[in-house]
Amino acid sequence: MRRLPVLLGLALFAVFAGLPYVTTTYRVAFLLAVFIAAILAQSYDWVGGHMGYLNLGHASFFGIGAYTSGILLKAGWPIGLAFTAGVLLAVAFALLISYPFFRLRGAYFALATFGLVALLELLASNLSWLTGGSEGLTIATGYQLYGAYYAALILLALVVTATAWLARSRLGLALVSIREDEEVAGAFGVNAYAVKCLALMASAAVAGLAGGLYCWYLTYIIPATVFGLDVAIGPIVMAMLGGSGTVVGPLLGAFVVDVVREVLRLKTQYLALTVYGAILVLVGLFLPGGLAEPHRWRRLAVRLRRRAT
Amino acid sequence: MQTFVQLLIGGILQGGIYALGAFGLSIIFGVLRVLNVAHGDYLMLGGMLTYWLYTTWTLPPWIALLVVFPVFFAGGFLVERLLIRPIAGMPHHEFLVASILITLGLSLAIEDVTAFALVQPVKGIDYFLPPLRVGTIVVSSLRLLFLAIIVALTIGIHLFLRRSFWGKALRAVMEDREGAMLAGIDIGTASAVAFALGTALTATAGVFFVTLIPVDPHIGIPLTLKYLAIIVLGGVGSLPGALAGSVVLGLAESLVSFYVGAQWSLTVAFLVLIAILLLRPRGLLG
Repeated sequence: MRRLPVLLGLALFAVFAGLPYVTTTYRVAFLLAVFIAAILAQSYDWVGGHMGYLNLGHASFFGIGAYTSGILLKAGWPIGLAFTAGVLLAVAFALLISYPFFRLRGAYFALATFGLVALLELLASNLSWLTGGSEGLTIATGYQLYGAYYAALILLALVVTATAWLARSRLGLALVSIREDEEVAGAFGVNAYAVKCLALMASAAVAGLAGGLYCWYLTYIIPATVFGLDVAIGPIVMAMLGGSGTVVGPLLGAFVVDVVREVLRLKTQYLALTVYGAILVLVGLFLPGGLAEPHRWRRLAVRLRRRAT
Repeated sequence: MQTFVQLLIGGILQGGIYALGAFGLSIIFGVLRVLNVAHGDYLMLGGMLTYWLYTTWTLPPWIALLVVFPVFFAGGFLVERLLIRPIAGMPHHEFLVASILITLGLSLAIEDVTAFALVQPVKGIDYFLPPLRVGTIVVSSLRLLFLAIIVALTIGIHLFLRRSFWGKALRAVMEDREGAMLAGIDIGTASAVAFALGTALTATAGVFFVTLIPVDPHIGIPLTLKYLAIIVLGGVGSLPGALAGSVVLGLAESLVSFYVGAQWSLTVAFLVLIAILLLRPRGLLG
């Protein structure tokens, strides 16, 4: 039970590491997009799924990472420093918003984060002396498909490992207890604010790094591709579809959503968004638990609730 | 000074246009606790229907009002029955996520189908009345007339909420869900009425919108965000609050776009939204 998932994960990692040698660049680029989506979905899910704070503004960390790294790369900074700066700024932003935003609950938290990412998108379009505005930011490092592919694969592996560890750790338990009942969690000695802040900062760090990677790979970003509604909502859809609050769920969701969207893009000229919208509606109606049924979490929740009463 | 007065009047008139949709969203959020992302799209569709009536049968916007309201009342009722009712029993967090996914999916589908069905993407009606001049200040008499109609409609809704059984029921559910159930109010019907009414009011705002400003299929989500900012500003479920919030947002947008730059006018809504949420986590009057 414990060894099987680890072996399976290692085997998958080896397969994906070997794939670029045998397949076309189109497929490598597609897999890279799936990896970045999966990284975002998994890091979103720490806050949104495990902890139960619906963060509609996860894209703000991705965008801050992308723009910071992009601007610094353009200024001639080495890659490592530019990425580090992007991560640091995303984490600093998470720390900055954590105090005021975590006073909000439920729909109000979702609303504020929704407004936040829209505000950042507008700022990125309007501060054109810094970001290049709506014409976008172009960097001259060259198209880095294979480098970005391996970097994303390694980052994804790290994120999955972290999530698997989280699922067994005290911190993971604290997250779930906050989701189930924050007051009770506090009464049982969970420092709710510290845990929430830590989770948000960790998810911001991962999203910021993914943003830097994305900018470095594409060498061109505009506000809509890093802060847009699609980037903001995509990770939530993926996590929900696959199974929020699980290790496999967001990965499965990212893969399914990206494959469906790619097929739609290639096969239908019109109304691709309509089909995508219909899928969102169906997921919301029929699959709130996701494809990967989170049995373990349910049992955990029951146990917690029993302990609470 | 003269410019300033002109900007104030423009802002108040713009706020009047926001008020109907904001109140629609306020009722829906207050009764159903649904964060309705598709809300701005009802306005867009209402505008499109008005435009279609105008071009095919040359029906003026006044008549369109009488068509749009019942059509979207029925439409809202159907959306509630088919898409919101099935998830109503979910636990709190799942309900929140599911409702956002469903209304977002609906919004994407509505905008995509509308863009697909249109020959020209942008629609506007040329309807002109001579402007009103008071001294050196010019007021659009069309906007003034709309404001009068909107005020009349607002009084109508106010009376509905105060006097009629279902109006009182809606207010009771907003105030205390369990208490309303204990008092024998059917939450299911109240939800359907609230959703239908909210949808119809917003689509009605589209009638005014399309007569003043061109409407294109993708105005929905920015509008939804503005509406959310307004109801958070004015307090969920409060009719005077929605009206006041709309006027404040209209004024702020009008002043900012003149003194700071038109591209910044949308940031006002988001700044207001975030600032109010942070200062008063449950809304100004919540």
